[in-house]
Amino acid sequence: MAKKTYDLLFKLLLIGDSGVGKTCILFRFSDDAFTSTFISTIGIDFKIKTVELRGKKIKLQIWDTAGQERFHTITTSYYRGAMGIMLVYDITNEKSFENIVKWLRNIDEHANEDVEKMILGNKCDMTDKRVVNKERGEAIAREHGIRFMETSAKSNTNIERAFCELAEAILDKTSGKEAAENPERVVIDRRNNDKAPGYSKCCA
Amino acid sequence: MESVGDHVPNGLTGVKSNLEIVRERFKEDEIILYLFEAYQIKGPEDANRLLALVSSESGGTFAIISFSFVRTPLTSVNELIVNKVFAIDESFQLQQDCKGSITAYQFDLSTAEDGPIKYYFYPSESASYEEFVAKIISCKSSMARSDPETVLNFRWLNDYRQIGEVKQELKKRESEYIVYKDIIIYCATWNVNNKPCCDSPDGLRSWLGCSERAPDIYAIGLQELDTPAKAMLNSTQVQASVAQWNEKMVQSVHPDVEYEILQYHRLVGIMLTVIVRKQLRQHILRCRFKSVARGVLNTLGNKGGVAISLQLNEGHICFVNSHLAAHMGYVEERNQDYNAIVDGLRFDDGRTISDHDHIFWLGDLNYRIQEPPGQQRPGPLTDAQTYELLLQYDQLRQEMRKGKCFEGYTEGEIKFRPTYKYDPGTDNYDSSEKQRAPAYCDRVLWKGTRIEQLAYNSIMDIRQSDHKPVYAVFRVKIKTRDEVKYKRVQEEVLKAVDKRENDNQPQISVEKTVIDFGRVRFNEPCMQDFNVYNSCPLPVDFSFKEKDIHDICEKWLQVDPRKDSLMIDSARSIRIKMVADVHTIRGLLKKIRTSDNFDILILHVENGRDIFITVTGDYQPSCFGLSMETMCRTDRPLSEYSQEQIKHLMNDDSQEYCVTMPREFFLLIDYLHKQGSKLEGGFHTFEPRKSVNAHFNVVRDWLDTWSDEEFPGTPQSAAQALLLLLDLPEQALLEPFVEDLLACNSKSKAMDYIALLSPPKRNVFMHLCMFLREGIECQYYELHQVAVTFGRILLRSSECKAWPDYKVRCSQFMRLFIESDGADSLANRNEGAGAGSKADLPAA
Repeated sequence: MAKKTYDLLFKLLLIGDSGVGKTCILFRFSDDAFTSTFISTIGIDFKIKTVELRGKKIKLQIWDTAGQERFHTITTSYYRGAMGIMLVYDITNEKSFENIVKWLRNIDEHANEDVEKMILGNKCDMTDKRVVNKERGEAIAREHGIRFMETSAKSNTNIERAFCELAEAILDKTSGKEAAENPERVVIDRRNNDKAPGYSKCCA
Repeated sequence: MESVGDHVPNGLTGVKSNLEIVRERFKEDEIILYLFEAYQIKGPEDANRLLALVSSESGGTFAIISFSFVRTPLTSVNELIVNKVFAIDESFQLQQDCKGSITAYQFDLSTAEDGPIKYYFYPSESASYEEFVAKIISCKSSMARSDPETVLNFRWLNDYRQIGEVKQELKKRESEYIVYKDIIIYCATWNVNNKPCCDSPDGLRSWLGCSERAPDIYAIGLQELDTPAKAMLNSTQVQASVAQWNEKMVQSVHPDVEYEILQYHRLVGIMLTVIVRKQLRQHILRCRFKSVARGVLNTLGNKGGVAISLQLNEGHICFVNSHLAAHMGYVEERNQDYNAIVDGLRFDDGRTISDHDHIFWLGDLNYRIQEPPGQQRPGPLTDAQTYELLLQYDQLRQEMRKGKCFEGYTEGEIKFRPTYKYDPGTDNYDSSEKQRAPAYCDRVLWKGTRIEQLAYNSIMDIRQSDHKPVYAVFRVKIKTRDEVKYKRVQEEVLKAVDKRENDNQPQISVEKTVIDFGRVRFNEPCMQDFNVYNSCPLPVDFSFKEKDIHDICEKWLQVDPRKDSLMIDSARSIRIKMVADVHTIRGLLKKIRTSDNFDILILHVENGRDIFITVTGDYQPSCFGLSMETMCRTDRPLSEYSQEQIKHLMNDDSQEYCVTMPREFFLLIDYLHKQGSKLEGGFHTFEPRKSVNAHFNVVRDWLDTWSDEEFPGTPQSAAQALLLLLDLPEQALLEPFVEDLLACNSKSKAMDYIALLSPPKRNVFMHLCMFLREGIECQYYELHQVAVTFGRILLRSSECKAWPDYKVRCSQFMRLFIESDGADSLANRNEGAGAGSKADLPAA
């Protein structure tokens, strides 16, 4: 049975403190829906979503991890296979922001060296409860040289953009590696006995 | 063949039958002849399948497509997944009487590419196996009836195999994004009679520049290029001639736009060149060429055909240039040449000439005008009347009417003079002695949809050959994607396919994610069961995932089963056993020191999520496994401590202790001391971890409660408890100096290290040695045995164990301390532990 419906498969991981909205972000991205009931993720869930970037169909397999403290050791074992990591904090929760440093350290210790990272300050629709301003998020991202965005799964702000930007960053890396592979267009069969001058260029 | 759809009983009104749903999966011209439910046998297992016998009108062929599905009756076409495709071709076989059948209701399907795949079925009223087989046999025999030379067209099946779901879906929704764009195709053919390319600048313009609107594609066919004798050699001369002709053609096409050669292909003297507008180039997604040689011995290629296939946007176009057998009487040979080209020509991607939307066939077809002998022309005729009269006797038209060649092809009205045979350089028909009758040798025909001919003519004033060149102009509506609409449809399709995958993810639910053992005691195994359910419409495999400890769980846990399969709607009970005993206590205490749970198990669903199962409980602290330091920090019996409190004590690294040595240790020594010779065999043959059974638990409780009762066990059990107390802690009693101590050969040197031990360890060691020395002196115990047994425990070391003389050194070290040297007896030196057996230990 033919299964391949995509050109590339990227594995992404969502990490961050419990309750920052990792599952909601994933649910918004994959199902374009939002629910405000909080159900703690007890394990590792994943969803797939195919996006098209630069003419390539990229299947994103996004792993949503349990944020609860007691699972931290166990979830770090999932970092290894990830090509991209979304590190999420909650702009209404100071502690979740402070823990970003801890999560970054976790990534350094357990993830692939060349993993693409992005920090997301989620729940940016809740302006009246905001305790972490955007500048602090930007500053910590700048300090570590990684991307940053404020998002809201509830109001669907920047969710798609964030995933696409992360995927694009991975694509940049991978396309460097496989530049020698097939160009987009089908190459025309040129095995002709008579080589005529003037049209031997590739068609792409 | 008719569809059987209406004969299949349709369960409930308003609910779609399986057949109706399966039908949605196919295109309009694909008809389900029969739908049969069977089980594919895969080793010891089987899986439901729906076998659809399908006929394709466009392909004119049949196939069986096997679907797997998530539930039956089906509720949506999305639940169908193509599992296997069997083209009913020459190699297709259905075997009913297979060896090794487990049931009479079994059959195999196989093709050259696949199989045999075994299936079995349950006889049912709604679908009969006999009917299914009868239909297959009739399909197969209708295939056998077709000309063995024809290539069966199974291209339609590609939509069901080897291409992904997304492509299938996009194909199905084609009408939503396909638009038709007009393009102009200019076909030209000329038998150049081995004449070199003329070098006048406008030489071919009058032939190739005849259309008002600039054509998008030119297909120019030449025949008798150079002499056949020369052309057989692939000489530079021939190449130069080819290049010259091509160059000339590019120069002579419509002057308004820029062109380039897309592809040309030559078979001896037959050459086909396709020239396209430069702007069109990027829309040509595929281009292939191929030739079929005919002529002398049907292989030499002085006759035959060359073809170029290309894909423009979504339209597939084929151009064929052929030079068929010559001479008036060789009609049948011409037909044969034609058929040989049609049947034999297969491009490298498998496409045949008929696999194109638009086919243009041009060339010197060589069909002649065969007027009846003695035919008299009635009076003077207009040109049109003459052509009409001549065409009545045109062999090509006669043969086409008889269905002998060019089936399905159309030719436009001919309003020009016969193109053959002229005296070169003139417009006069052949004046040589052969006096060949004029004929319409040079033709352009087409086949396919959305083609409109705009012009069809010959050029009289190109005179170098004995043939006149011919051209035809067409307007063709090419299937083209509307990119905006396509993008939208594609997005929707991707979304739907993703959703299907997400929704069909295997799921199991667990009764609970926290397994709480409640009170857990040393040396008392306990069990907890919990259920897992299959909560999706597919069978699901689950397993506990190996963790970085190289096992699925910690040593103190046992999980059964570690993996299993769950059928739809089924549940499975999983048993977790917790054993905190002499073998596991060391690890468990270490875990407790750093964690709030006993373990977290990863329940992995095959192709699905992982669920974390937290195993927890309340460990009732006992003296066994605790370090001397921890025990010296207790101020009450261990039975009065909680797990949390003992965790706190274990993590306490201050130098403050409540007592000088653990009371539990002291109580055991005191008891054994009093027993004297009653400890039969002394500390002989002692493997402390063996024979720790449930009886031992009374000793455990006596120690953990600081009981005032009589010691509840035997001297042997007290000795065992003593050894365990010394042996179970994570660190050997003499750590961190084991290696140094093993290297010491004098007591005084060893004492320097002993002095550095933590006070609880030091006191325990000194007190123990005193006790043992006295026992040996009194001959209760045997020196050698004691040295061996205690040496191994007190100097336990995984590093030094590898030393060849490790065992010897251990007992030598012990001898330094337990061999009688006239030192004070235990009775005289009880200053630390107090003489009274039940007396409180003095504070440190």
